[in-house]
Amino acid sequence: MSEKIRYGFYSGCCFQGADERFFQILQDVFAKVDVELELIVDAVCCGSGVIEERSELTSLAVNAKNMAHAEQMGLPLYTPCSTCYNVIANAQKRMQEDPAVHAQVNEILAEQGLEYKGTCKITHTLWVFAQDVGLDKLKERITNPLNGLRVASYYGCHTRNPADIQGYESADNPTSLEDILEVLGVQIVDYDTKDDCCGYHLAWPNNKLNMQMTSNVLEGAHTKDVDMLVTSCPLCFKSMDGTQAKALAQTGKNFQLPVLFLPELVGLACGMSAEDMMLRYHGVPVNIRL
Amino acid sequence: MNATITPDRKSILANIRIQRFTPGEHKSAFYDNFKVNVETGMTVLEVLRLIKNTQDSSLTFRAFCRSKICGSCSVRVNGKPLLACSTQLMPILDDFKQESVIIQPMRNMPVLRDLVVDIDPVIEKLAKMHPYIMENRGRIPETLEQESLMSRQELTKFDYITDCILCGSCYSACSAASADPNYAGPLTLGKAYRFSADVRDSFKGERMQAAVDQGLWSCAQCRKCINVCPKDTRPAISIQRLRKMSIDDGIHDTPGSRRAKAYTDDVAKYGQVNKPMLPVIVNGPKGWAAIEAADNYLIKHGIEPTHQVCTLDGQSSTQKIYAKVKELESRGENKT
Ligand code: SF4
Ligand code: SF4
Ligand code: FES
Repeated sequence: MSEKIRYGFYSGCCFQGADERFFQILQDVFAKVDVELELIVDAVCCGSGVIEERSELTSLAVNAKNMAHAEQMGLPLYTPCSTCYNVIANAQKRMQEDPAVHAQVNEILAEQGLEYKGTCKITHTLWVFAQDVGLDKLKERITNPLNGLRVASYYGCHTRNPADIQGYESADNPTSLEDILEVLGVQIVDYDTKDDCCGYHLAWPNNKLNMQMTSNVLEGAHTKDVDMLVTSCPLCFKSMDGTQAKALAQTGKNFQLPVLFLPELVGLACGMSAEDMMLRYHGVPVNIRL
Repeated sequence: MNATITPDRKSILANIRIQRFTPGEHKSAFYDNFKVNVETGMTVLEVLRLIKNTQDSSLTFRAFCRSKICGSCSVRVNGKPLLACSTQLMPILDDFKQESVIIQPMRNMPVLRDLVVDIDPVIEKLAKMHPYIMENRGRIPETLEQESLMSRQELTKFDYITDCILCGSCYSACSAASADPNYAGPLTLGKAYRFSADVRDSFKGERMQAAVDQGLWSCAQCRKCINVCPKDTRPAISIQRLRKMSIDDGIHDTPGSRRAKAYTDDVAKYGQVNKPMLPVIVNGPKGWAAIEAADNYLIKHGIEPTHQVCTLDGQSSTQKIYAKVKELESRGENKT
């Protein structure tokens, strides 16, 4: 039995309703590569970058609280959500750069006996697989290589921008997602709209634009004859799977493109079934028989 | 020789793929390939000039100051908009582990020729945003000899944007601007914030309306604009701040401002965004149609719909955080 890698699991807000299944899926897939997630119970929603539109200090304090709990557990904070990663990493950077803000946030937290020391390490699915678990071990655990599957890879924006929120890899030329996919055996297909934003965060303020942006990304992948698009971000997944039918209808396009959340594809390659990955809950049918 | 000052010099015979296009002459854009000995320290602009001087004098690009000041030399290298005059090519070759690069004109603007784009449409958008100060009489000194002084704190609210050189890189990177030609774009909203945050200004109200009309709520907060800005002016942050300003000024009747209120209040109440009820909170009674659609989706997949938010445990202490922040903010003591 190899040593387990453990993380404080910051779940964020996106796994509600039909997406609650991802709690289980993530834990099951990670178990295949000896990763153990321990829920950060006292965490709260990171505010998704929206609380800043009311009060930046509130957002910083709330996310310092999230990190403080991970520090208490003595574990790195892992979040599957790219936006949570972005917001929390941004809060960390902001307090690193401005000690006065850091001190004020700690004053606020002190009333609950909490302190954010600034030592918390934050990470995301991409780097858990590509670096902590490592490609070698991941390769070992693959029992169902997905050879020949044509995949459009999609990072989304929030693990990449701006460059200095992560020190794991190049921001202009990240490779973690493709590195993981390659180990799974798939064939990665390049496409024009790969670096475009799906517009998920416009779902409420400007839904029409969100649909247009999602449609643009999907079309770029679709024209390259891929079997599916795979994304490391659960919010991009929601946009591109959950609202795909609406987005394409509204923009006068007529096709369908299966979209997978990265952990689902890793699970399949590690021998778990479509049933285990609960693929039937997808908005766009995934007819994978590998 | 000190290695930290003078890096190892190397030279790579690289293939420089450049997008060419002259409207009216060519049916579509195409690529030309040039072999160039790229040396450590050479900027993208130097490579372009070398090609123009030694291989093809018709290659067209724009540059002027060569010092990151005029903002005229933006191009895309491997997809990323950057200033040709102040970006070295070797680190890019190293980053991409390739002996070739693609150089293209900026996106979201019409190409005039090869790497030269027409930035006027963007500047026209900027002009509609009232990018100037209308005097705030309260800040005009008594005598001509006195200056209208600002405190350091007042200045830091916007000084980071004054560096913007209108290079257009952020606009090129913006997917919202690609998808919606009416969207003002990052640099434009950044400037709107810069003038609205200036205590010497009194024109905020009208500028705010111009910002709302031109897409204050159309930014997806993807943060690409922050990533590409050569002057680190952080447009997406300014957009967040301008949104806050608009809400503080009483513009509550946009879906975006209702979302901001909903998220902020929900996190205090439940430690979590109340996703199941969000459609009604943001869009009013017509949001019920969306909730019904979501319910039907769940039922179709054999899941019992619930309108219950999945509360996170941290909520009780969060309320205390909110109270404390409010107290600091009301006294103007917040350090953000
Ligand atoms: S904000 Fe930055 S990237 Fe955008 S135009 Fe100004 S200097 Fe260029
Ligand atoms: S953060 Fe907003 S303005 Fe900046 S590139 Fe993204 S959508 Fe455009
Ligand atoms: S030539 Fe002026 S900024 Fe590059």
